[in-house]
Amino acid sequence: MSFFIDSFLSAISLVVTLDPELFQVVGVSLRVSCISTLLAAVGGIPLGFFIAYGNIRGKRMVITLLNTMLAMPTVVIGLFVYAFISRRGVLGVFDLLYTQNAIIIGQVFLITPLIAALTIAAVSRIDERYSKTAKTLGANSLQTVLVILREAQFGICAAVISAFGRVVSEIGISMMLGGNIKGFTRTMTTAMALEYDKGSFTLAVALGLVLMSISLLMNILFNFVQGRGRL
Amino acid sequence: MQYELQQVTQQYNGKTVLNIKRLEIVSGKIYGLLGANGAGKTTLFNILAFLEPPASGQVFFAGQSVFFGRTELHKLRQRVVMVDQYPIMFTTTVCKNIEFGLKIRGMEKGCRQAVIDEALDMVDLAAYRNASAAELSGGETQRLAIARALALSPEVMLCDEPTANVDVENQAVIRALLTRVNQETRCTLLFTSHDRLQAAGLADETIVLEKGELVDTSYENIFSCSLESKGGGQKVCMLQQKVPFNLPGSVPEKEGRGYRVYLNPDKIKLIQGEQQSQQRPGILFGTISLMMAEGEKVRLIVNVGVMVTVLLSVREYQQLRLAIGDAVTLKLRPDAVEWL
Repeated sequence: MSFFIDSFLSAISLVVTLDPELFQVVGVSLRVSCISTLLAAVGGIPLGFFIAYGNIRGKRMVITLLNTMLAMPTVVIGLFVYAFISRRGVLGVFDLLYTQNAIIIGQVFLITPLIAALTIAAVSRIDERYSKTAKTLGANSLQTVLVILREAQFGICAAVISAFGRVVSEIGISMMLGGNIKGFTRTMTTAMALEYDKGSFTLAVALGLVLMSISLLMNILFNFVQGRGRL
Repeated sequence: MQYELQQVTQQYNGKTVLNIKRLEIVSGKIYGLLGANGAGKTTLFNILAFLEPPASGQVFFAGQSVFFGRTELHKLRQRVVMVDQYPIMFTTTVCKNIEFGLKIRGMEKGCRQAVIDEALDMVDLAAYRNASAAELSGGETQRLAIARALALSPEVMLCDEPTANVDVENQAVIRALLTRVNQETRCTLLFTSHDRLQAAGLADETIVLEKGELVDTSYENIFSCSLESKGGGQKVCMLQQKVPFNLPGSVPEKEGRGYRVYLNPDKIKLIQGEQQSQQRPGILFGTISLMMAEGEKVRLIVNVGVMVTVLLSVREYQQLRLAIGDAVTLKLRPDAVEWL
């Protein structure tokens, strides 16, 4: 127990003294997570809206598929993307493997279904009369879509925050596609796994503290957004 | 002419819910659209508001034939505004709700504020300008919906049951407001209602829908009923399943529920007192509940267990010297009863 307390105190010291290695790892994590969340939101929100409101065949099947993808293990996505971006893959010429871009691609695959599924849930809850009201006030199709998105904004924000929480804490994709290269593709979760393997708990616990703080912040933000939605 | 509909039908899942041979709506008038639930009022409103195309037939708007293409509809929707029975307010302030339609029309910000203020003044909601629209009461929400429509200066306003879900005080306010809007802006006003009296008080003309078709009745005196055998091959009609009525004239052969009968108020003879047995065909007893002068006629509402309307000429009314609460006998000839 004293070993854990020592590691914990040393970790706090790393955080308080703004240890460069620690913050370099946190920086990489936040960068790839923010970019992947942004890209997934750009793709996932319109996709979710289209599935919810579009007159498409097999809508239930598509939603079932999306829901299934929510449970997809990160290592499966890692393997899938690896097959495309490795030297022998069709995208091998772009030399993406073991780069931050590779992690971003994998994470986008991970959370786009999540954002789409939660967007479907958010916009489906919006009363159909919003669309009718917008139309009868003279709105065109795009303006009507924007009205519905604005009414569903709290649900959609919650979807994006959840997605960010998912990517910032995942390890499979970052490890398999990023390669855990120090100063380049080492993220908080891969660094923690490495430090654990080395038996060096101080940095692992410090990263754990930062990750927990980010998760806590995300949850506070999530609750705040959901709370505003209920007002 | 604001609208002209020719052979317009609407179908949902293969079932025809609207079938209008011809309908003309004159600009600047107030129309009351009456009908029971499922009569096709909302379907007709959706077509008039250009929210959905008819399955067949032709619609003319302001003399022009309407093509239900997307671009065309968007332009037409900017000339017609519909106010829903349960108006939906966007999750923002009162002011921004009104501003929405103005922004869409590309109006400059300075002008928008002036129009918003004017619309809010008209519905007496100026004090709520920056309040959240979600905080308004039912009556205030209905008034805001009218203000939001008015701000757009539409040629036509379609109000779906504008007073159905508000208290009596707000009902009077909304009725007065609609009349004022029509008088001041000369915009064509159509509203749906179940209430014949409200429609008569507000509308210049009434349109009655029955099972998706226009009918010439005045909507009142249409009752659901069942036919029951009373022995000896005779049948008694239970008006709204509670008032027995021995029918004059021909009666449907099959007993049971699900019938609808129309008692023509022009063809009902009213006699003071209970002068004949209610067992006799075509006789109903009741008391006068309401009397209203309507031009050269007087409308009487007689409570016989259900409310039956009788139309008398002013001369007949004066001769009979009727008063509210008087016991009366209603005598219906066979041609006063129609099976629907």
